[in-house]
Amino acid sequence: MDFAQIFSVAQFANALALASLLTILASGLALIFGLRDVMNFGHGAFYMLGAYLSYSVSQRVSFWAALVIVPVLMAALGALFELAVLRPLQRRSHMDVALVTFGLALIIGPVVHQLWGTAPLSVEPPAALSGSVLLLGTQYPVYRLFLIAVGFGTCLALAGWLKYTRSGMHTRAVSQQPHVARMMGVNTDRLSLLVVCLGIGFAGLAGVLAGPYLSVDPGMGSAILISCLIVVVVGGLGSIGGAIAAAFVYGFIQVIGTVLFPSIAVLAPYLLLFGVLLWRPQGFGRGRVA
Amino acid sequence: MASIASTPAATGPRLADSGLVATLARPALWLWVVVVVAGLFVPAVLTSSFYLGMLINGVTLGIAAIGIGFLMYQCGLVMFGVAAFIGLPAYLLGIGSMHLGLGVTVSVLFALVGSAAFAAVVGALAVRARPLPFAMLTLALAQMLKSTATLQGMRPLTGGDDGLTMTFSGTFFGFTQSQLANGVTFWPLAWLALCGVLTVVWLAAHSRFGRVLRATQANEERMRFSGFDTYLPRLVAFVMASFIIAVSGVLIGLNSAFASPELLDFATGGRPLVAMLVGGASTIAGPLLGALLYTWGQDAFGATGHLELLTGIAVVVVIAAFPTGASGFVMQLARRVRAAAGRGGGAAR
Repeated sequence: MDFAQIFSVAQFANALALASLLTILASGLALIFGLRDVMNFGHGAFYMLGAYLSYSVSQRVSFWAALVIVPVLMAALGALFELAVLRPLQRRSHMDVALVTFGLALIIGPVVHQLWGTAPLSVEPPAALSGSVLLLGTQYPVYRLFLIAVGFGTCLALAGWLKYTRSGMHTRAVSQQPHVARMMGVNTDRLSLLVVCLGIGFAGLAGVLAGPYLSVDPGMGSAILISCLIVVVVGGLGSIGGAIAAAFVYGFIQVIGTVLFPSIAVLAPYLLLFGVLLWRPQGFGRGRVA
Repeated sequence: MASIASTPAATGPRLADSGLVATLARPALWLWVVVVVAGLFVPAVLTSSFYLGMLINGVTLGIAAIGIGFLMYQCGLVMFGVAAFIGLPAYLLGIGSMHLGLGVTVSVLFALVGSAAFAAVVGALAVRARPLPFAMLTLALAQMLKSTATLQGMRPLTGGDDGLTMTFSGTFFGFTQSQLANGVTFWPLAWLALCGVLTVVWLAAHSRFGRVLRATQANEERMRFSGFDTYLPRLVAFVMASFIIAVSGVLIGLNSAFASPELLDFATGGRPLVAMLVGGASTIAGPLLGALLYTWGQDAFGATGHLELLTGIAVVVVIAAFPTGASGFVMQLARRVRAAAGRGGGAAR
C-alpha cells in the first residue's frame, strides 16, 4: 500500500472539491429544515434544474453569466416554492410536506427531460479556468481549485451572515428554539421566505458549479440527493455548522475509500451514516433533534 | 385496569366473548371467509389477462403498502426505503434457488426468514432514531443494498446490473414455474397472501400489542414511566412490517422469476409509499385501495406518455387536497351521509 499516493495533494484537493459541492447543497437543505422543519426531497431536482439552466445560459452567453443568473432565477423559484407549497402546508405533518416535495421532484425531472432531452450534456469550463496548474509538484485542474474556492467562500459568507447580521441571528434562533423565537417576536414567515430563497438559490449555484466538474445528466439530482441527506443527518438535523463539517468528512471518506478499497468504496457513506447514528444519534452539530 | 377486569361483572361477558364458539358465531368472520373464498374465483370473472396482470400488480403493491401503512399508523415511522425489503427477498429467492441449490419452497422460506432476520438487525438500530432520521436511515439502507448488489465483486452472486434470472426447481405448493408466471394460476397465491396479510395486520392492530404501539406513539415518555418497554414493541412492529413487505417482494420474484437492481431503487420504494398515502393509512385496507388506484393511474398515465409528470402532479394534489387519503375521504363521506340520513329520519319521526 502506497501511503504517499493516498495522502497526496491531488487526493486531498479532490476530497475538498467534492466536499465544496456537498457543502453548498447541504447547507441549503439544513437551512430550510431549520426554518420550516421540512426535509426537502426536491433539493436534488432543484440542483439538476440549476445545472441544466446553467448549460443553456453558458451556451448562449457565458459561464460567468450563468454563475450569476442561475442562482438568482433559482432563488425566485425558491420564493414560489415557499409561497405556493411550504406556507400553505405548514400546519400539515412533516411527512406530508416531505412527500409533496418528493412529488415536486417527480414533476421537475420529466419537465427537464422534455426541455433538454435525456442525453448527458457537458459544460466546458471558461477559458480562464480550463487547463491545469502545478500544485505542490502535481498537475491539478484549475476548475477544481475554483470549485474549492467558491465552496469555501460560500461557507464563510454563510457563517458571517449567520453570526453577524440580525436576520442571521433570527435564523439561528428559529432553528434551535422555534417556539421561543416566535414568542420573542421573530417573524418566521418573512424569515422563511428569505431562507428558502437562499437554500434553493444555493442548489442552483451548486448546479452551475457541478456542470464542468461532473456531467449534466437526468440522474444527477437523485444521485446527489442521497449524499446530501446523509450529510445533513450526519451533521445533525437543522445544524448548518454540522452540515458543513459533515460534508468535509463525507468528501474525505469517499475519496480515501476510493483509493484504499476501490471495490467497496460506494458503501463508505452508508457506513459513515450508520456509524455516526450509533455513536451519536443527534449528529455532529448542536441542532435540534427532529 | 387490572382491578376492573377482575371483578365478576366485567369478567363474565369477557369470557363468553373470547370463547372459540363465540368467535365462530361472529357474522363478520363468516363474511370475511366468504370474501376470501370468492376472491379465488376472480380470474373466472376477469377474463382479460391484461387486467388480471394489472390487478396482480395492484395486489403485490398493496401488500407492501399495507406493511408501511401499518408501521406509519401504529408507530408514526415512515419507511422511505421500502425498496430494501422488496429487493432483498427477491434476490434471496434467486440466490437460494440458483446458487444454494434449494427447492423453490425452501428458497421462499429462506428469503422470508433472511429478510426478517436482516430487518431485526437493522431495526435494532433504526427504531432508536426519531421519525425523520428513521425515514432517511431506511432510505440509505435501500440505497446501500442497491450499491451492494451492483458491486463488481458481487456479480457472480447477483448478476450485477444485468439482474438475476431464476429457474426454480420443484414446485411451490404444487405450482410449477410456468404456472407461477401465468396470471390465472398465480392469482390464488397473490390473493391468499393478501388476505393473510390483511388478517395479520387486523389482529395486530386490535390486540394489546397495537394499543401499546399507539400509546407509545402518542406519548412515549409517559409509557416509559408507566413501566412499558417502548423499544421492543417498536422493533417487533418494524420486523413485522418488513416481513409483510418481503412477502410482496417474494411474490414479485416468484411471478417474474427475475431480480434486478431496479427493485432496490428509490423509485420502486416510492411506489408503495405513494400508494399508501393516496389510500390513507388510518384504515387497514386504505393502502390497498391506494395501491389499486395507483396501478390504475399508472396505466392511464402511461398511455399518455407522461407517466412521471402526471404521477408527480397527482401525488402533490392528492396529498395537498386529501390529508387522510382516499379511504379517509370515503369514510368522511359515509359519516356525512349517515348523519344526513339520521337527521332526515329524526325529522320524519
